[in-house]
Amino acid sequence: MRKRNFYIVSDGKLRRKENTIYFENAEGKRPIPINSIYSIYALGSLTITSQALNYLAREGICVHFFNRYGYYTGSFYPRESLISGDVVVKQAEHYLDREKRLYLAKAFVEGSIMNMARVLRRNGEDDTGVISALQGLENSESVEEVMGAEATARTEYYSKFDSMLSGMKFEKRSRQPPENEVNAMISFGNSLLYSAVLTEIYHTQLHPAVSYLHEPSERRFSLSLDLAEIFKPLLVDRLVISLVNKKMVGEGDFDEDFKGVLLSEKGRKKFLKAFNERLERTVKHRTLGRNVSYQRLIRLECYKLVKHILGVEKYRPFVMWW
Amino acid sequence: MYVIIAYDVSVERVNKVKKFLRKHLNWIQNSLFEGELTQSDLEEVKMGLREIINEDEDMIVIYRLRSRDVAKREVLGIEKSSVDEII
Repeated sequence: MRKRNFYIVSDGKLRRKENTIYFENAEGKRPIPINSIYSIYALGSLTITSQALNYLAREGICVHFFNRYGYYTGSFYPRESLISGDVVVKQAEHYLDREKRLYLAKAFVEGSIMNMARVLRRNGEDDTGVISALQGLENSESVEEVMGAEATARTEYYSKFDSMLSGMKFEKRSRQPPENEVNAMISFGNSLLYSAVLTEIYHTQLHPAVSYLHEPSERRFSLSLDLAEIFKPLLVDRLVISLVNKKMVGEGDFDEDFKGVLLSEKGRKKFLKAFNERLERTVKHRTLGRNVSYQRLIRLECYKLVKHILGVEKYRPFVMWW
Repeated sequence: MYVIIAYDVSVERVNKVKKFLRKHLNWIQNSLFEGELTQSDLEEVKMGLREIINEDEDMIVIYRLRSRDVAKREVLGIEKSSVDEII
């Protein structure tokens, strides 16, 4: 079966029966064919039996958990089947060597900036402000400076958001908690993207904790954060802009708390559906010459990184061509 | 491709077939499964089924469609199972 992502928003239990994963709750049973699962996003309160986990692990399926606010909390990352000591050692070498690390950090930010510019141009906005941050990036001599260049670009980028959106206000990027609807969607989207990238890393030899732009010491799968930077404009920002402008989200899709704004259960389902459609959407790849899904593009990015690390081919970041 | 599999097998094997197909496809109703498969998945499914059934007594029909959309699927009565990826 063609593998899909499953998003479990209802409360219930996941168990294994007759070599199938079943989702059960008071409303009934729902079998999920094991061969159709690519990864699972657990957003409701979910009980999983150890038999189910063992079975998922055997099939190499990651389960990503989110708390009730929609923040990513952790992943069930099955024992790796694709292990390559060589890749991990080389990955570390690229981190330890200042020049090599700087090259990768710059490449990630360059990809990120180019994609932000792409989003702006596509929406008829001026991208010169964002593009000019590339100069600062070029001259950066440390990872801190690279991050500075990224921040400059991002400020420029976000300053154009309000004129790209109609019907909802963005104002400024606010997180933990997001202060308005648009920020709530961006935060939720970024959490989902982070997990999607992690799933792809799992299917390669890369070690998810050795990263270049973000410090690897942050108790996180920080390589996922690095790669997610490149894909945020494509998979999250464009999605949010289209949901807002097509008036697909609105009244009833958000809950206002005393502290901030979050997607309501209804809104979350809508967002997940749209996010998943986006991951499955395909585009004709220029060098491969065939259609690949957006999700697959993330995997290809991982492969490019492996090639770079092994010295086969220099890494160039993904930049949207459409 | 989108695949529909209907089977009529002897009672002692019917559960084996069901259990096997459950791993790959969505159960729709008794003796009927549907789902998206790749060419190689389908070969795997066919191989698995051949091992279970007795080819002198049982019968399994496999329909291959280009996509779910061309099936113009219509349901009368209650749909017993959902295939949505948001649960």
